[in-house]
Amino acid sequence: MQRSDSPVEGPVRPLVLGLGNELAGDDAVGVLVARALREELDGVADVVESAASGLALIEVFAGYERAVVVDSIVTGRNPPGTITEMGLEDVGRVVAPSLHHAGLPELAAVAARLGLGFPSRTRVLAVEVVDPYTFGAGLSAPVADALDELVRRARDQVRRWETEAACTTTPP
Amino acid sequence: MSSEILIDPITRLEGHGRIHIFMNDEGSVDHAYLQIPELRGFEKFAQGRRAEDMPQITSRICGVCPMAHHMAGTKALDDLYHVDPPPAAKKVREIVYDTFMVEDHALHFFFLGGPDFVVGPTAPKAERNILGVIGKVGLEIGKEVIGVRKELRDLMTEAAGKAIHPVFGLPGGISKPISPELRDRFVAGAAHAVEFGKFSLQVFRDVVLSNAEYVDLVTSEAYTHRTYYMGLMDERNRPNFYDGRLRVVDPQGQEFLSFDPKEYLDHVAEHVEPWSYIKFAYLKDVGWNGFTDGPDSGVFAVAPLARLNAADAMSTPIAQEAYEELFSTLGGRPVHYTLATHWARLVELVNAAERMGELAADPEIVSPEVRTIPTETPTEGIGVVEAPRGTLIHHYETDERGLITRANLIVATQNNAARIALSVDKAAKALVHGPDVDEGLLNEVEMAFRAYDPCFGCATHSLPGEMPLIVEIRDLRGELVREIRRD
Repeated sequence: MQRSDSPVEGPVRPLVLGLGNELAGDDAVGVLVARALREELDGVADVVESAASGLALIEVFAGYERAVVVDSIVTGRNPPGTITEMGLEDVGRVVAPSLHHAGLPELAAVAARLGLGFPSRTRVLAVEVVDPYTFGAGLSAPVADALDELVRRARDQVRRWETEAACTTTPP
Repeated sequence: MSSEILIDPITRLEGHGRIHIFMNDEGSVDHAYLQIPELRGFEKFAQGRRAEDMPQITSRICGVCPMAHHMAGTKALDDLYHVDPPPAAKKVREIVYDTFMVEDHALHFFFLGGPDFVVGPTAPKAERNILGVIGKVGLEIGKEVIGVRKELRDLMTEAAGKAIHPVFGLPGGISKPISPELRDRFVAGAAHAVEFGKFSLQVFRDVVLSNAEYVDLVTSEAYTHRTYYMGLMDERNRPNFYDGRLRVVDPQGQEFLSFDPKEYLDHVAEHVEPWSYIKFAYLKDVGWNGFTDGPDSGVFAVAPLARLNAADAMSTPIAQEAYEELFSTLGGRPVHYTLATHWARLVELVNAAERMGELAADPEIVSPEVRTIPTETPTEGIGVVEAPRGTLIHHYETDERGLITRANLIVATQNNAARIALSVDKAAKALVHGPDVDEGLLNEVEMAFRAYDPCFGCATHSLPGEMPLIVEIRDLRGELVREIRRD
């Protein structure tokens, strides 16, 4: 994973984290968003793909102040392709039989307890998917249709932060 | 009224399992099982692909243990191309693999199993998590877990290209030797890991063994099955995670089988049940006799406790002491208490750390001779490693161009599946009485399978969000009688 090593003083670049398994049908969507943005956001954000899970992700977030997370979700409550945008505060704390299932709020809590950095500003783009379980299946039609919008929203968020940072750091 | 209790996480995270508990007319448990979803279509997906890509492709199957798949795939390629890697290549593979074992076992004990034992199975739900573990063992230890894991993952990244999706395994060797500088870092990392392992064993003594209630729980009949055990062993029947012969001991601890992993299919078969995607591995030499234990049942176990049970000794001194302490405390080998798997995991953590140190001290490990170029036509290859969760087998067949015609993976959770089924059933029968099940009891049923750390077959990951559980109680006609949400 590449970490910001900006030659100039200033805030650390934001993290764009695409989660998922690129081989497993719709589960690839987060990774594909990251890939679509990698070149474009070069020098602006650290774009990272990961298939890791739960608390293993704590190291990925460490040291960042802002992060956009793109992931697939299966709730059965929304039509496939629906994008839900959330802040950390909107994402319920995971209560699960196994701590494999640690979610972002718990990661943030552990990071805070251990004095590790965790992005204080985290936006989550979660897209409702159809089939994240079939190898080589590619994206289903509704999720493929949502890809451009996911890319746009992730990019826009990074650009907004970039503008904010420019306003606060550029001398008059 | 007969009814079914279904514990169903409705969102997907790292795969999702469901526990079904069927109640009989008397209000006690008739039977219970764990249902595990699977990733579909791997065999078809692999067909026509280049065999040499399989270690990379298979490492992407699983976000939890990519290194295990990468290594099993790489070893299958050695066999497929009929090529023997140079000694330095084998040693580098093994040290990287041991590093992975330490890192993974550390994560499991403190973060995943820890809430059950360090905090306690009956502790309030709000404390039974990693924050509760940190609260109990101290902040510095929490930082140490993160710090050791980071150091080890950095070593893996340096040696294997990437920790998450390693790229260094090739048929006949590895892609690059390790430098003397990196070797020195492995020496330091191993020393750190050994100290961490010793400390972890002390935590287990202080927190678990000194608590009579926990010991009673570990040794209770609800979590006990007298099965066969399997593990990969070196020439002196000591566990080796990277290579060796597969040894099986019977429920008395006597050697039952010892065979070349390539003969796996001669000794292990798979039983199918209509209610589960997963195939239940069993010993052909004994036969399938249903979900039952004892010498007449082919049900066997893999993973840390099974490996220790199948071994005559450990290959390193501190692990040997810990192995002796475990068996003397729990009544001799074999130990049939599923929950002792957590302790066995720590014994293995120390063993892997010490082995890292031995390999790092071997002058040959920095040899530039790390590749034997394959020259023969590929045919069929089998590769086996001990994944953290148990024996993992990759089996490939190709055409003469090296394109995959058939690929079969037998993962640890499949090998353990029948015993896991036994565990869930037995725990539910012992602990659940009537449909008014409280959350603490459900947790104790879940502990029965959590000790195995079953991988739910999915490479899925951490969906950021809540993961409510649903308990459904149904009657025999399938009508919903009651729904309990746990969120």
